[in-house]
Amino acid sequence: MSERIVTVVPEAGLHARPAAKFVETVNEHEADVRVAPADGDDDLVAAGSMIAITSLGVESGDGVRIVAEGEDAHEALDALETVLTTPEDELTNA
Amino acid sequence: MAATIDRDDIETLIPTEQISLAEPPSEKEACIEFLLDQLVEVGRVDDRDAALEALLAREEETTTGVGMGIGIPHAKTDGVTRPSVAFTRSESGIDFGAMDDEPVTLIFMILVPEEGADDHLDILSSLSRALMHEEVRDDLHAAETPADVQQTLKGAVA
Repeated sequence: MSERIVTVVPEAGLHARPAAKFVETVNEHEADVRVAPADGDDDLVAAGSMIAITSLGVESGDGVRIVAEGEDAHEALDALETVLTTPEDELTNA
Repeated sequence: MAATIDRDDIETLIPTEQISLAEPPSEKEACIEFLLDQLVEVGRVDDRDAALEALLAREEETTTGVGMGIGIPHAKTDGVTRPSVAFTRSESGIDFGAMDDEPVTLIFMILVPEEGADDHLDILSSLSRALMHEEVRDDLHAAETPADVQQTLKGAVA
């Protein structure tokens, strides 16, 4: 199991296009990925579910904890870190 | 991190007259207009065109079909002066182009004034959190009156 804490860069937070890109990226990898706000004791939720991501209410500048397990765990974390640290206007459509 | 909304907020955001149990149009854009008109009719929208434009622009960016049969079209717009929510449900299901390919059957609209960025995320995340529970979704489908819907929402966000 690997995990990482990443600070969210896009201005809108983990919402709209960055959130969609995040969910797509999760589902492109052979890994079980879960996510939670970095501060607080909220349970991890399924990172491949749009409603679960929306439920987190993560704003720009917030930290998120991403936990990945499986064959592509490391690649998944790298790709997700890229999504979360790319300003929205530089994010290309998948 | 977004704050959570509570039972009292539900009363303010979504009075029963903003809840419709009539079958909405089966096409996504028409359904969005149907929900918007519920808010227009009760006087919560000052500028229908501006609100509609903001809602459709948001859909253009990426669908608000968030999976599990739930659609949450939403926008920040000065077409409203206070945060407002409307609800409808569809027996037949509406294609929102959701990532999980499920047709949408429970639809919430959220409109907040342009300056209400925090409210926007608070409402969206609280509703999403509530709707992740199967029991809440089942209760919304089973509701017989707008008051039942409102009661379910109060219990779900508490």
